[in-house]
Amino acid sequence: MNKADPILTFEAVHKRYGSVMALDGVNLSIRRGEVVCLIGPSGSGKSTLLRCANALDVLDSGRIVFEGNEVRSSEATVRHVRRRMGMVFQNFELFPHLTVLRNVTIGPTTVLGMRRAAAEGRAMALLSKVGLSEKAAVYPSALSGGQQQRVAIARALAMEPALMLFDEPTSALDPETIGEVLSVMKVLADEGMTMLVVTHEMDFARRVADHVAVFDKGRVIEEGSPKEVFENAMVPRTRDFLSHLGWHGETTIPTAASTREVS
Amino acid sequence: MNFQWSIVWESLPRLLDGAWMTVWLTFATMTLAIPGGLVLALMRLSPVTLISASATAFVEFFRATPLILQIYWIYYVLPAYFDVQLSQLGTALAGLACNIAAFNSETFRSGIVSIRRGQWNAGLALGMAPARVFVSIILPQATMRVLPALASTWVSLFKDTSLVSIISVAELSYVSLQIRAETYRILEVLTAMAALYWLMGYPQAKLVDWVHRRFKVAE
Repeated sequence: MNKADPILTFEAVHKRYGSVMALDGVNLSIRRGEVVCLIGPSGSGKSTLLRCANALDVLDSGRIVFEGNEVRSSEATVRHVRRRMGMVFQNFELFPHLTVLRNVTIGPTTVLGMRRAAAEGRAMALLSKVGLSEKAAVYPSALSGGQQQRVAIARALAMEPALMLFDEPTSALDPETIGEVLSVMKVLADEGMTMLVVTHEMDFARRVADHVAVFDKGRVIEEGSPKEVFENAMVPRTRDFLSHLGWHGETTIPTAASTREVS
Repeated sequence: MNFQWSIVWESLPRLLDGAWMTVWLTFATMTLAIPGGLVLALMRLSPVTLISASATAFVEFFRATPLILQIYWIYYVLPAYFDVQLSQLGTALAGLACNIAAFNSETFRSGIVSIRRGQWNAGLALGMAPARVFVSIILPQATMRVLPALASTWVSLFKDTSLVSIISVAELSYVSLQIRAETYRILEVLTAMAALYWLMGYPQAKLVDWVHRRFKVAE
C-alpha cells in the first residue's frame, strides 16, 4: 500500500449527545506514517472523534473508514479495527488489579492468542523502550501519573497497532511528568508510527505534528501544516483560540483587546 | 442458686453436632448464594427488560420479607400449592440461599457499576470481546471492592442460620433448645450456646475486619 494512502478517514461524521451537537460534519484523513494533532477548545468534539474512530462511541451519520473497512459495518470489523488501533486515555486506565507486566501482556495473550512467554518478551522490550522495565512487577498504584501513562502507551503498543490514538495523554499529569510522556510520543513519531493526537500541548503539536486540525463546536475549522496553523492561521477563531491559550498553556485574562473578534 | 455445668459437658457431643450443622449450613448457603447472587446481578444489569424485571422481582421479594416467613413459606406453602416437598434441610438451604443470593446480588451489582466506564473502554480498545472485558477486567475489581460487604453478609448469615431451627433442622440453636427442654437447665444451656456461637463467630468477625483492611481499594 502506498505510504500516502489514507489509513483513516472521517467522512461527514455527525454525533449528537441530547441537544449538543458533539460532531457536526467532520471530514478528516490521516495518512500512513503521519502525526496528526487535533487542537481546539475543551468540549469542541476532539475526544469524541477519537472514541468514534475505534467505535467506543457510535456515530449518528457519516462514515469512518480504517484500512479500507468501514468501522461500524459489523461486530467483526469493530474487533479488527480495535486490534489494529492502539488507544491511550487521558486517565491512563491501567488495570489496577494487574501488575505492570500483565497490563502490557493481557492484550496480546487474550486477543492475539499469544503465548504468555512470548507476550512477556514483547512487553519487557516495550517497557524498557518507555524506560520502565524495572517496574514490571509492581502494580499501577505504585507509579506516578507519568509512569502510568508510559505503561499505558506500552500496553497499546503491545498489540503492534497500525495507528495510535492519544486522547489528551498529558492533561491529567503533573507538569513535571508531562515531559517524559511527550518524549516517548516523540520517539514513536520519529520511528514512523501513525498517530492521531488530541492535545493541548501546542509546543508538541508544533514540533512533532505533520498536520494540525483545529476543532471548534464539532467541526474542523482549519487544518494544515503546523507552520500554517500556528504562524499563519486564516480563520479568526483559530487565532482567537491560540491567543487565549498562549504558547505555554497559561490563559490570559480576557480584556477588551483580546476578546475582540479579529476580522 | 446452684448450677449444674455437668449438663453442658454431658450434652457437648450433641452441641458440637449442632455447631457443625451451623457451620455446614453457612458454607453450603454461601456456596450457592455467591454464584446465585452474581447471576442475579448480571440479570438485573441485562438490557432485556424481561430478564432484568424477573431478577428484580426475585431480589426485592427476598430482601423485603422476613427470612422466617420465607422458610415457613417454602416448607408449608410450596407443598400445598405446588406439590413440591423439600426435606427440612433442603428447605433450610433453599430459603437461606435465596435470601442471601438476593442480598449478594445487590452487593455484586453495586460493585460492578462502581467500576468506571474507562476500564471497559480500555479493555474494548485492546480488541477484547465484552464478555472477556467483564471476566478479566471488571469482575476481579468489582469483587475486590465488595469483598468486605460479602464478608459482613457471611457473618450475618452465620447467625441467621439459627432461624431454620423453626423447621427442626438440628443446628446449634435447635439442639440447644432441645437440651434445655429435656433438662430444664435453662441458664447453663443458653450460656453454653452463647459461648459456642461466640467462639465461632468472633474469629469470623475478626476475619471480616482483616478483609476490610486488606482489600481497601488502591487506585
